[in-house]
Amino acid sequence: MSAVEPAEHQAANVSQVAEAARSGMPVEVTRSRGSTIWTAIAVIVIVAVLFDLPRIVYSGTTNLLVDFFFLLIISSMWNLLAGYAGLVSVGQQAFIGLGAYFVLIAANHGTSPFMAIPIATAACAVAGLVVWWLVSRLRSGYFAITMWAVASVCELIIIQISSLGGGTGTALPGLTSNPTYLDAYTYWATVVVAVVGLAGIYFLLRSPLGLVLTAIRDNETGARSTGSRVARTRLVVFVVSAAGCGAAGALYIISQQFVVPPAAFSVSFSAEMIFITIIGGIGTIEGPIIGTIIFFTLQQTLSHYGVWYWIILGIIAMAVAIWAPRGIWGLVSENFGVRLFPVGYYLWPAGESPRRFIGGKR
Amino acid sequence: MPDLSGTPATLLKLDGISKSFGRVAVADNLSLELAAGEMLGIVGPNGAGKSSLFGLIAGDLSPSAGQIFFDGSPVTKLDAGARCRLGIGRTFQVPKPFGAMTVFENVLVAVQQGSGLRRRASYAAAGAVLELAGLTLDANRPAERLGLLSRKRLELARALATGPKLLLLDEVAGGLTDPEVTELVGIVRQIKERGTAVIWIEHVVHALTATVHRLICLASGSVIGDGDPAQVLAMPAVREVFLGTEISASLGAPGQENG
Ligand SMILES: Nc1ncnc2c1ncn2[C@@H]1O[C@H](COP(=O)(O)OP(=O)(O)O)[C@@H](O)[C@H]1O
Ligand SMILES: [Mg+2]
Repeated sequence: MSAVEPAEHQAANVSQVAEAARSGMPVEVTRSRGSTIWTAIAVIVIVAVLFDLPRIVYSGTTNLLVDFFFLLIISSMWNLLAGYAGLVSVGQQAFIGLGAYFVLIAANHGTSPFMAIPIATAACAVAGLVVWWLVSRLRSGYFAITMWAVASVCELIIIQISSLGGGTGTALPGLTSNPTYLDAYTYWATVVVAVVGLAGIYFLLRSPLGLVLTAIRDNETGARSTGSRVARTRLVVFVVSAAGCGAAGALYIISQQFVVPPAAFSVSFSAEMIFITIIGGIGTIEGPIIGTIIFFTLQQTLSHYGVWYWIILGIIAMAVAIWAPRGIWGLVSENFGVRLFPVGYYLWPAGESPRRFIGGKR
Repeated sequence: MPDLSGTPATLLKLDGISKSFGRVAVADNLSLELAAGEMLGIVGPNGAGKSSLFGLIAGDLSPSAGQIFFDGSPVTKLDAGARCRLGIGRTFQVPKPFGAMTVFENVLVAVQQGSGLRRRASYAAAGAVLELAGLTLDANRPAERLGLLSRKRLELARALATGPKLLLLDEVAGGLTDPEVTELVGIVRQIKERGTAVIWIEHVVHALTATVHRLICLASGSVIGDGDPAQVLAMPAVREVFLGTEISASLGAPGQENG
């Protein structure tokens, strides 16, 4: 539906609602039910420890964590896209691959691969805008399959470019030859991207746009009829998710030090994002975190069992689908009423809010 | 050029609207005008096209022919979100709450998106709407845990929270007990007294006749009666479409007051 909106007569509406507000009783609103101070302290401590880790443990551990955070970033981005905006894509590997190749292009032109991470992220945001222009009219299955096709087209285009290694791939130039430094830098870059990505998702969901997204998640027709700009909201989420997957792709090529199109554009990235998000709990910030921990543990302990590894993954996916349709985190939060990331709103009778304890004044 | 948007006092104007689902016509060259602040009741048998008419006005459905004007400008090509921001608020016959969000959040998103308020102003407005709808005590409960009455109230509160100039109520009293209906009628009257125009579809006819001064009867997508509620309900054509239905029982006492 494309139409020019006439000047909106919001002034009249606003004054009417605001007038009602004045006649009503004063309200106090906080963003969480209780104190968030301990969560905040825990987050700060965890992030501080993560940053210090290369000085404490061997690079084998930090290399594992690079893989862990890569999975956490891509599944958090998929969760934002599918769990909140209702855009179930099986083609986000398009942006992982493009992110990797944007780093390669920048490195071929003499930029340090680490400095190229933000460049690749921005370039993938632009690529996301272009792709959105193509796919925004599609819904559900058509959208999912078209995104897969988009990823395949991106891969085919890259294969044609011989300066990027064509179909056989190429090594990433410009990385330091000292393996200790390289591992540490790669790890720090990964932690930075993961922290920025998750914080970005958290603050996005806390904003008025996040409230709209949550409403769209719960009932799209209801969201439209309360004045939400559904199309614009989806555009923002699609672009954010493309940028996030692009950043992950940049980390991917740096940690592999090599790139080959079938691996960088592999649909198995989509399988991992979906599995992690579904078992962890779709439509919650916590879900992909729990899901990544579970998936990563399984992968590390079972992957040398070959076919049994895949059978166990399948059984777990089915068990979650049957007994915990809202994922492991859904089960936990329903039974214990906990939320690690407070994005909601709580209304208190005047004078009874715990605001003085949590200090928020929003 | 003729002035298609109607007289200055006209808030809503439907001009020759048609819409069908397959062979079922839900609007058949339908025209209708509503003045600012006016209150209109709609009755009609099941499947007459009442809910579809709301869909056409609010932008959830697009007509195959005809034009819709709201507040002096054509809105036929605008989507539901844009029409809501212009001042058309609606409820759905089957409530569409944001299930996992709290009651307060349900109303807050409507305040923020529908009337453009932010932060403290939006919190205060949402709090006031909850107070009016009698939902303050449920404010922090997830919407999916509400009972039927509270769900209906939330549907009303959320539409109201968008700051509408025109409020479309689709069977908000359906399934409620008599005292609950009386309470709801009280809320709708308060809304009307603030100058908001209301179109109210209702099967509970006594709730309508106690509140509106104008009633239309829809059948097969056409208006078959329009005017004073008692007169419309007494029309032979209207009595005929209701023959043998639950409503025909209440047609005998069209002027019955309530609350
Ligand atoms: N989305 C739809 N698709 C197909 N048929 C529909 C749809 N919506 C309504 N109808 C049909 O249109 C007719 C009018 O429906 P509706 O407007 O809900 O009637 P009312 O609200 O007066 O009971 C019914 O016969 C219904 O089955
Ligand atoms: Mg209906």
